[in-house]
Amino acid sequence: MDLALQLLFTGIGIGAVYALVALGFVLIFRATNVVNFAQGEFSMVAAYLMVVFAVDLALPYWLSFLLSLAGMALLGAVFNLGVYYPLRHRTFLPVIIATIGASILMANSVLAIYGPQPQVLEGWFETPGIQLGPVYLDSQYLLIIAATATLVAFQYWFFEHTLVGKKLQATSQDKEMASLLGISVSTMIMVTFIYSAVLGGLAGILVAPILFVSIQMGSTIALKAFAATIIGGFGDVTGAIIGGLSLGIIETFGAAYVSVPYKDAFAFLVLVLFLVFRPQGIFGERVAEKA
Amino acid sequence: MKLTRREFAAGLAAGVTAPYLIGSARAQGATIKIGMCAPITGPAAEAGKYATGGAKLAVDAINKAGGVLGKQIELIVEDDQTTNPGIVLAFSKLAAQPDIVGFLGSIRSTQVHAMAPDVMKLGKPVMFGGTDPNLTKLGNPWLFRFRPNDSFSGRVIADYGVKTLGKKKWAVLHSTDAFGTAGGKALTEALGKLDTTIAIDQGYANQSQDFTPVVLAIKQSGADILGSYFTFENDLGIFARQLRQLGVTIPWVGSPSIVNVTALKLAGPALYGTYGVADYAEESSEASKAFGKAYRDAYKVAPDNQSSWPYDAVMVLAQAIKNAGSTDPQKIREAIIAIKKYPGAEGEYNFDDKGDGLHGYNIVKNEKGNIVFDKHIDFND
Repeated sequence: MDLALQLLFTGIGIGAVYALVALGFVLIFRATNVVNFAQGEFSMVAAYLMVVFAVDLALPYWLSFLLSLAGMALLGAVFNLGVYYPLRHRTFLPVIIATIGASILMANSVLAIYGPQPQVLEGWFETPGIQLGPVYLDSQYLLIIAATATLVAFQYWFFEHTLVGKKLQATSQDKEMASLLGISVSTMIMVTFIYSAVLGGLAGILVAPILFVSIQMGSTIALKAFAATIIGGFGDVTGAIIGGLSLGIIETFGAAYVSVPYKDAFAFLVLVLFLVFRPQGIFGERVAEKA
Repeated sequence: MKLTRREFAAGLAAGVTAPYLIGSARAQGATIKIGMCAPITGPAAEAGKYATGGAKLAVDAINKAGGVLGKQIELIVEDDQTTNPGIVLAFSKLAAQPDIVGFLGSIRSTQVHAMAPDVMKLGKPVMFGGTDPNLTKLGNPWLFRFRPNDSFSGRVIADYGVKTLGKKKWAVLHSTDAFGTAGGKALTEALGKLDTTIAIDQGYANQSQDFTPVVLAIKQSGADILGSYFTFENDLGIFARQLRQLGVTIPWVGSPSIVNVTALKLAGPALYGTYGVADYAEESSEASKAFGKAYRDAYKVAPDNQSSWPYDAVMVLAQAIKNAGSTDPQKIREAIIAIKKYPGAEGEYNFDDKGDGLHGYNIVKNEKGNIVFDKHIDFND
């Protein structure tokens, strides 16, 4: 039982990271109908920005955090203008390939600037964690879980109760109709890219003290987050959260009770099962219904 | 203008001898080329920097001392991308240059396995650092190892844990790649001969983001000592922190990655008090100290095994070419096999006919982040 509790905590913690990155996938997909394969690199770039501000320039942690997120907002805007906007009237394929190209560019730019050494980023708290009965709660995982919960609440409020949120929803549902109603579609898409970059960046900053800051950190998380998105139902926010959390829990328990070396296989086995038996995911609508 | 007889003779002499002079100048300018496959990009790009640094240090030392067979040595580096297809491609690019006389392969066993068939086809000597014992049992006469293989590291870890630390109930943890699997097997075999019990033998996949299930399994097994084979430093760092967080404090003797510079930086205090087998330990011999000093002077960072084996490999290859008096592959091979009692940075090289140069390891301890030499264990059977 103690064992299961510890595993559950870690599973939720790592799952929350997948969920955060998955949210970024979903938001961009809803707004533009393309998958942004550079979403993982947003996390990586943000973690490196933290290293620049908090470690190299020795700025206070909170200030570094805000500066890094501001940097990510800027990157999101540049990404939209440089990668999506010029190709917006093309089919989804050139856009997806452009995002893959952008992800390679980002990874190698960081490699060129920062070198290949993995970096250490301290966590937000001085204490590494607390012992709660039989379970050790890593303070960084606690922070990740809290941040994910807060963001989900924020996102719900933002999309359902603000004008910008409603405009964003309208844009993602039907661009032509939205633009007929006087919504600036390209502004809404710009907002989506900025928000997704900040979201991905947040995931990267939160997870960096646990996984270390490396060039590969983004792609490893993004792959799982992508799987989580499909499990949850592509384009569904609740689905991304549920998908991320369940993936984290499934792979942690699978590793503990079945096989450690096949840990990643459990995640992808679940993905394959979903693709075969329920391709629209847990919360997704059938494509035919949406059309 | 009237040409005098003297001017005509001088001109003629110059004209006749010029091709020879230019030719001999070209011969003097010509170099002995050594190809090197190194990870410039990919997960091991970090290590690749140290590796090329070590090799270049040796090249500079040799060239400063007058080169080999009257020629300077030139190092040609190709990026192996830290992948198996990457190294096969890098090696084929190098192999296509007929004037390269010898090569440096990888420190990763899986990559050496990948390139081995092409090495066999090319028929030129390749120095490598991968420690899977099988690599020198492939019947491939062109592979030469510059680090002790894992049958020795496994035996040294077992020997030290059982005889020096007095622990008999083992947890064995290893990566599931070629290196980790071979290492884990070598350790369990060595433990089998030493009157011990193996409480848990656990593999893990590289680039795991979380080791909680592994740590909990070790905790539950009741093992009183841990032996490990980690391939990547970030895996090692994540595991070390979680091990300590979840309250596991048993002694830990690890494969060489546990004492390398990156792992120490990433894991910090989580690795204090651990032991590691190290093929390179700066205090272990005069040659090791000398290499350490030269490396620090050149690069301002501490040397480790990523840089020491390429250094030794270039040095021994140059020595072999010198001894052979030729760059003929077969003669170089014979000269390498004939090298005995060569004092390298990694230890004393005594090549056997399989291509293994070293036959033992150092045990070092992490004392608050400083790597302290403990003892050297050599096997002569």
